[in-house]
Amino acid sequence: MAAEKKVILVTGGSGLVGKGLQHVVEQDKRADETWVFLSSKEANLTSLEDTRAVFAKYKPTHVIHLAAMVGGLYRNLKYNLDFFRNNSAINDNVLSTSHETGVKKVVSSLSTCIFPNKTTYPIDETMIHNGPPHSSNFGYSHAKRMIDVLNQGYHTQHGCNFTSVIPTNVYGAFDNYNLEDGHVLPGLIHKVYMAKKEGTPLTVWGTGKPLRQFIYSHDLARLMIWVMRDYNEISPIILSVGEEEEVSIKEAAMAVVEAMDFKGEVIFDTTRADGQIKKTASNAKLRRYLPDFKFTPMKEAIKESCDWFVANYDTCRK
Amino acid sequence: MAAEKKVILVTGGSGLVGKGLQHVVEQDKRADETWVFLSSKEADLTKQDETQAIFEKHRPTHVIHLAAKVGGLYKNLNSNLDFFRDNMAINDNVLNTSYKTGVRKVISCLSTCIFPDKTTFPVDETMIHNGAPHQSNYGYAYAKRMLDVQSRAYHAQHGRNFTSVVPTNVYGPHDNFNLEDGHVLPGLMHKVYMAKKEGSPLTVWGTGKPLRQFIFSRDLAKLIIWVMREYEEADPIILSVGEEDEVTVKDAALAVAEAMNFKGEVIFDTTKSDGQTKKTASIVKLRRYLPNFKFTPMKEAMKYTCDWLEANYDTCRK
Repeated sequence: MAAEKKVILVTGGSGLVGKGLQHVVEQDKRADETWVFLSSKEANLTSLEDTRAVFAKYKPTHVIHLAAMVGGLYRNLKYNLDFFRNNSAINDNVLSTSHETGVKKVVSSLSTCIFPNKTTYPIDETMIHNGPPHSSNFGYSHAKRMIDVLNQGYHTQHGCNFTSVIPTNVYGAFDNYNLEDGHVLPGLIHKVYMAKKEGTPLTVWGTGKPLRQFIYSHDLARLMIWVMRDYNEISPIILSVGEEEEVSIKEAAMAVVEAMDFKGEVIFDTTRADGQIKKTASNAKLRRYLPDFKFTPMKEAIKESCDWFVANYDTCRK
Repeated sequence: MAAEKKVILVTGGSGLVGKGLQHVVEQDKRADETWVFLSSKEADLTKQDETQAIFEKHRPTHVIHLAAKVGGLYKNLNSNLDFFRDNMAINDNVLNTSYKTGVRKVISCLSTCIFPDKTTFPVDETMIHNGAPHQSNYGYAYAKRMLDVQSRAYHAQHGRNFTSVVPTNVYGPHDNFNLEDGHVLPGLMHKVYMAKKEGSPLTVWGTGKPLRQFIFSRDLAKLIIWVMREYEEADPIILSVGEEDEVTVKDAALAVAEAMNFKGEVIFDTTKSDGQTKKTASIVKLRRYLPNFKFTPMKEAMKYTCDWLEANYDTCRK
């Protein structure tokens, strides 16, 4: 029996995770899958008209929905309303158009920063709505949480197969290396590059003690493709290395230093805020499904990411 | 100094609470206030262009936003997605159009059924997002919660005075007396009316033991008007009688029977579900602002409402 042809539309397809997906599908081409990677240049998903037009153009059978208005701490603090409204519009447009056009499956992307601020650890998929999110990005967080509400509603009312994934800290090639807006690992990579170039010490903000789970974009991509092909629950699933793989910011900084062969001094600026001490997420649900999935060893993944950054410094996002 | 003229637009102005407001403003006319009561016949607020048109027509300086897609248990159970999306659309259109046209204050209406299902009592204003709402109407509940998120976000990003109120069980003339879709008190009044007419017993669904706080629509209206004129916080405020005025459904049924001079038997059909045993809400915040506000005694408010039903049975909503 011939496999049904799939056309998989990836919104936000030119970002960190989108590029990870592009890399993995190149290595694992399937005859029954056509992949389309969308960027905001092609369609403004806050507009229902634009969203419908791009769906009419590509006629997807599956959607991996990564597109969102994102930003670092200061941007979120200033624009909580816009983060809420724009993301709510994007999400409603993508899901309603997917429903209208008979898309068989939508996999949306949430994130661990949307979990309740006051919580016990490790956090798991059942805890998303158990309390208010951190006040700094409440607009973004509530909009993401409503994806899970919409998924449940579409399933109960229309039988749609819409679900979501929750990655922890993603890193890899094509990240946003901006020191103000970006996340911790790309920030460290950029800082080591500058410290080497200028012959200065590496200054890490905070004490270095906070713990994080980092997932390589290529590993996340392989897992998202598995979700798209084989995960049939509507409830979300956390995609991350296990709790035992949590590393401190200090350890992450030293791994970048080693990968980039930095010989200078490493200083911790303890006048800077640490952010959350822990965000430990449980990947027990993932392990029930995929007990044997092997994550790329962190040393190797960091080396690849650093090498990419050095080779692409001039054109990368910073 | 002449008081600035206010034009107050009330969306959902023809419903239970809207009619309560109409009554109160008639008795307390102020030279600097023009009130406009909108109904869904005049504009479909799920549509951005119709919302814009109605704001251009009336040019409000203040908005009391009561309009919503509402329904009883069964309607909600079957249509959580629609309850979510329609209410999100209405709310976004009203708040965004208010923002764009320079409306000084928007007071939106939440409800105690949106609080977390698993909770301690009494519930207060800080607890709205502390857990998932009851499964039966999560679509409606999350959409209402997002009104609080948006009000605070308009305040944080644009300094707008957008806020919300949380009433408990409202009753009064012009209610929805439909036995399937309506709430407990109007349901009891309608049943007593029928029982009297048909010479049958009054059958109350459940054990009669659940406790509720009931607020007369005219008292609620006076408090909403106070919020519109004087309350400056972006955080919500519960508007209700105190915890000590909680009554059982049985006592409420007997009060209706007395008000309507019903002499027949009162039966409790314990095969029907009771719903939540308690929903006790705290009015500590309201009392800090208005320690001396006097609620209409329940006996008097019930008599008034029952008399209204008997006089208006043919034309009322049922």
